[in-house]
Amino acid sequence: MLKIKHFIQQSWLLIVSSFFFGLLIAVANAAWSPKIEQNKKDKLDNLMRGLISEAKSFEVAVENVKIKDEKGKMSATNVYKGLDSTGNCAGFAFIASGSGFADKIELVIGVDSKFEKFSGFKVLSSNETPGFGSKIYENYFGSQFIGAPAGKLELIKSGKAEELDSQIVAISGATVSSDAVVKIFNTYINKVKEQVQTKGLIQ
Amino acid sequence: MTNNSTNTPTAGQSFLVGLWKENPNIRLLLGMCPTLAVTAAVKPALTMGLCVIFVLVCSNAVVSLMRNLIKPHLRILMFTLTIAAFVTVADLFLKAFQPEMSEKLGPYIPLIIVNCIIICRAEACASKNGLVVSIFDALGMGSGFTLTLCTLGIIRELLSSGTLLGTEVFAVAGRGGWFVPWAAMSMPVGAFVTLGLMLGLVNQITKAKA
Repeated sequence: MLKIKHFIQQSWLLIVSSFFFGLLIAVANAAWSPKIEQNKKDKLDNLMRGLISEAKSFEVAVENVKIKDEKGKMSATNVYKGLDSTGNCAGFAFIASGSGFADKIELVIGVDSKFEKFSGFKVLSSNETPGFGSKIYENYFGSQFIGAPAGKLELIKSGKAEELDSQIVAISGATVSSDAVVKIFNTYINKVKEQVQTKGLIQ
Repeated sequence: MTNNSTNTPTAGQSFLVGLWKENPNIRLLLGMCPTLAVTAAVKPALTMGLCVIFVLVCSNAVVSLMRNLIKPHLRILMFTLTIAAFVTVADLFLKAFQPEMSEKLGPYIPLIIVNCIIICRAEACASKNGLVVSIFDALGMGSGFTLTLCTLGIIRELLSSGTLLGTEVFAVAGRGGWFVPWAAMSMPVGAFVTLGLMLGLVNQITKAKA
């Protein structure tokens, strides 16, 4: 009994404040979590809209597509379908990730409604070296993917960036980051295509 | 850390001391991790500074109110608990209202919990002084921290991209101007060099004064 009394005497403030601070965090979380969720959704919608310009709204077309990367690590992604104003499919988009030079790179990849051509990619998150790897954000690199055939892509060191083919010209000084982007495309595209096909979503 | 119970500072004194004489970054060399990590541009530096001011004021206020109840051997635990609670609130707030900044600052917001400036002020000032002095001390230290971060941010953003808060100040060469951006300034090396030069300058000034 004495032990318990001693324990309470020593720690009552800690226990009381833990409850109080826990409550504070719970209230803050309850108040702001809908907004945080909304922010995430808005960001994704905005990026997808940038890829599929005709799309007015997006819905999940295939849930939980399992992807195995080259190191054998499994991950899952949702494939979104963009619907135009008449309700027809305007294209597909999905989140894809892989390791970059410094950290994980997360991309949103867009594909046309027939799954024949890419409509480009947008970077959801990356931590590539400023001034070098961060150029994956820039148009001259990204535009090579717009209209490229939706299949395996290949990275080349020099060539014509304007040509829309499966060959992607690397950013000079950022080969690792360029390679990472191409690898992400290659890891995801066939598996996603297969899943969308089995669901009979390609017109 | 000259603040102690035998020599109680006034509210005004404890505010001013944080700006220069005991500026946490350039005089006490505390909180170097955010100072180096988030000052590649002005906006993240300012956001970090404001978050630290918020956490510092709240934790100093709470610690000051509880100072007579805290058992000495449990004080660090209490300080950390208080700081962690307010940092979590600040983190959630940024995620909800400044999602872009929250993403940019990444782990550095949660890392405010282990920022030595805050625990140092709780220990050196708030646990020995009244509420008003503690709050002014937090405001002074927080502002000193924010000013240093912003100065670094201004120098580094200007030299690394020719912009300030995203607005172009120097005409960049790539867009037909004269200024060639120093990519190194936005990388860690830029942070170390700029901070080093700044500390040297501050030492020169204080030496000249003495």
